Amino acid sequence: MKNILLKTEQLSKSFSTGGTLQHVLKNISLELCQGDFTVIMGASGAGKSTLLYALSGMDTPSLGTITFGGRVISDMGQDELAVFRRSHCGFVFQQIYLIEGMSLMDNVLAAGLLVSKDKKALLAKARELFSCVGISEDTWKKFPAQISGGEAQRAGIVRALINSPEILFADEPTGALNSKTGLDVLDTLTRFNEQGQSVVMVTHDMRSARRGSRILYLKDGAILGECRLGRWAHGDRERHEKLSAFLSEMGW
Amino acid sequence: MKKCILLARSNLRGAKGQAAAITALILFAAVMLNLWLMLSLDYKQNFDRCHDRLHAEHVTLVVDEDSPDMRDFLKKSLEDDTRTDEFAFDSVLHMVGSFDYNNGNVNSELVILEKETALTRSIGRVEILEEGSAASGVYLPVLYKSDRTAVGKTIDISIGNSTMTYTVCGFFNSVMAGSHNCSMCALVLTDDLYAELERSGHAPRATLCSVRLNDRADSESYESGLKNTVAARYPAARTVSNSYALVYQSRYISQMVCAAILSAMAFFILLIALVTLYSNITNYIREHMTNLGALKALGYTGRQLTAALMMQFLSIALLSAAAGAGLSYSLFPYLNAMMIAQTGIPYTVRFLPVPYGITLLLLGSAVAVTVWLSSRRIKKVEPIVALRRGMQTHSFRRNHVPLETAGMPVTPALALKTTLSDFKRNITVCITMLMLSLVVVFSGLMTENIIRDTTPFLNLIVGETADSCINVQEDIEDDFLREMAADQRVEKIYLYNSLEVRHAGGLGLMATVCDDFSKVNNPKVICEGRFPRYDNEIALAAKYARENGLKTGNEITMTAEGREAAYIITGFTQTTNNLGKDCLLTLDGYRRLGRLSNASYYLNVAEGTDIDAFHAEVTDRFKDGVNATVNVAATIGGATAVYVSLMTILVIAILSLSALVITFVLFLLVRNMLNHKKRITASKRPWALPQASSFCRRLCPSCRQ
Repeated sequence: MKNILLKTEQLSKSFSTGGTLQHVLKNISLELCQGDFTVIMGASGAGKSTLLYALSGMDTPSLGTITFGGRVISDMGQDELAVFRRSHCGFVFQQIYLIEGMSLMDNVLAAGLLVSKDKKALLAKARELFSCVGISEDTWKKFPAQISGGEAQRAGIVRALINSPEILFADEPTGALNSKTGLDVLDTLTRFNEQGQSVVMVTHDMRSARRGSRILYLKDGAILGECRLGRWAHGDRERHEKLSAFLSEMGW
Repeated sequence: MKKCILLARSNLRGAKGQAAAITALILFAAVMLNLWLMLSLDYKQNFDRCHDRLHAEHVTLVVDEDSPDMRDFLKKSLEDDTRTDEFAFDSVLHMVGSFDYNNGNVNSELVILEKETALTRSIGRVEILEEGSAASGVYLPVLYKSDRTAVGKTIDISIGNSTMTYTVCGFFNSVMAGSHNCSMCALVLTDDLYAELERSGHAPRATLCSVRLNDRADSESYESGLKNTVAARYPAARTVSNSYALVYQSRYISQMVCAAILSAMAFFILLIALVTLYSNITNYIREHMTNLGALKALGYTGRQLTAALMMQFLSIALLSAAAGAGLSYSLFPYLNAMMIAQTGIPYTVRFLPVPYGITLLLLGSAVAVTVWLSSRRIKKVEPIVALRRGMQTHSFRRNHVPLETAGMPVTPALALKTTLSDFKRNITVCITMLMLSLVVVFSGLMTENIIRDTTPFLNLIVGETADSCINVQEDIEDDFLREMAADQRVEKIYLYNSLEVRHAGGLGLMATVCDDFSKVNNPKVICEGRFPRYDNEIALAAKYARENGLKTGNEITMTAEGREAAYIITGFTQTTNNLGKDCLLTLDGYRRLGRLSNASYYLNVAEGTDIDAFHAEVTDRFKDGVNATVNVAATIGGATAVYVSLMTILVIAILSLSALVITFVLFLLVRNMLNHKKRITASKRPWALPQASSFCRRLCPSCRQ
């Protein structure tokens, strides 16, 4: 029996635009377990990113509750959520959003120092993570503008993991990368997941989705279907066919 | 703390130019602020320190009589007054005199002391600041030290009708009589020359009475009362006096003017720095919205992000303020030299922790409040919205003057829309232009009215000016006037005599007595009402009248020489001479109070007349009947030269500083604008749509940006 890390009940999110209420998420109830690699898929405008940001406490739901590690986070205020996010959640964005004026190491430390005051330990951990994602010491001293997109995204993953979050949230992490560097990033995420890191990833890329152990398909703000693929294994043909069939069934 | 340092460092990396410009602005503000505070807080205190060190008097009275009877009378009067703390009498020589000063003359009531007496007086001793090897000669107040009057050189001093040539032995500091602004000016002679002058009779013996009071705040009323007491008992005795209040104010007028200019400059520069800072931070928030969103997503709170900005700008402000305040110490010696040339009281530049601390505190707090006010918006930034839609969502732009509801034609509505949409930048431009205008107007006024043409300045400061002033005794007055009327060189002559009267129940006032005010050269002395014409009329200093609630048409009682008379106020005077304690009376009006035993006449002479030669001729003709002659132009020239040079330096300094400040502000504005435009990119040109909608460039305000 796996540990339930995150649970939503009747989660809804609406936006008011020009006097019209738009229901982006509709009564979503789900559970995310420790060690899962959950992939959220769906067409553009289905509410994938909105669900991801609601689950991670970056956005607050209009209705329903979100319980993270036994704490209800859907009622928290902005500052409380910020404090919660810094030690429980890690984020990898499509646009990466490394801070331009900081070196890669400083970007990582800027996140790490929010939780720990032990700079020495942080530096050691950051070095280890950089080494894990294949970024050398020469590179981590560089600024974001001086490195490739793939390196930047892998640095983004290091930043996301520096505080050992319970869940790593990734919003289309390969969306802005080319095929080769995208694959490197997926390999990195998979490797961390294999080491026990829970991951929730939004994507509309089939190749990325294959890495997930559980696929949720969203349509018009509601979960249309779910597919469990089990652990990732390279060259698993059956897994690929199962996912293709599921997506086909969902109308992908 | 460490994370805030990381963020602050990153912000600084991205805005080095802006940081440098803000550093420079705060540095300039700190220089001005610290100079102002040093002048305001410590410079005037130096007078009190000097006053205490020399155990100086609060009231000085010189009476042209040195008899046991006079001293007994004074002693009793002083002892009877409970306000008296201690007093001392010394024998001195007293006469009106003059000597060269600043390419002109200084003309004053000279109080001549013997060296040993001057150095050992129990109250108001003088201190020798510089001394040469000459055994016989004169010591001058340090105010009059110049290349021409250096130690060892000779100086011609006119004492009454005689001119004495003395070797300059040295310079001294006297708190209450060390400047022509003190009503009297002390000179110290070596014992041989003092005895010689005493024997010659050119300067009569007098009693110098120095009084220390229990409360120096009483000095003005005490001086006035003492003078009246003496005048009542010895109506014929010539007296001259001063008080702590008068000397304190008159010796520090330039310092106050300079301090006011410095403070105005300091606050203007600070205001510009703060507006620029405010504008920079709001721009930063707009330009770095995604960064802020990312940081918030990582778990930074609004307070932490604000703290990083606070740390960034506070460290810039405090470092710049510390450097600026430190830099002011390298400029202060020059300012000090200018001020000493005005005050005549030595001042040693030293580190002053209080002004330094206030400068840091003031600039630090101003910057902290500005950062806090301008960065409040960070709290409102929602990470998700900032990341997903970035700048557009959080542009904080409002739709100013919506065209659908604007009750005005489209062109002014668009103009207003553009103005309001860049409100902060426009405010910065407005304040900069305001400062520029103020500086230009101030510099123009100072150049025109003080540096280029001193007449307006003299009209305000001196009051009445003429070419010559001749003081004659009563017995030769008719002959003198007859001769002057017959002299082709004399274009105009009128009685213009100053002496003291007292407002019954009020203070002593310097009364200017004139036989015909229609002849005066400066009718602008009267700022409201008119000059007195009849013997029951008086014009009063506007400042004194305001302080005492007096209006034109009111009746006022004056006393002098033991008599009282009532006068109707016909007007108010506006000169700053006598520190706003003066009045104007007709000759007949003054005669209701007393008698003029000698009279000063002002003369306008024909162009090209050698005034000194003319005076020599008149003195030769009337011998001892002429008490004193004054070359008014030379005397004024000597006194105003210092003001003119001071003002020239100030105008140059203000213009240079303003040019620097405006350059920095324009740099910041242009840089901000360029950065902003870069972000918006060509696809979002604000003028494209109006132009496409048939607006010509002339009609569309945005197009002109």
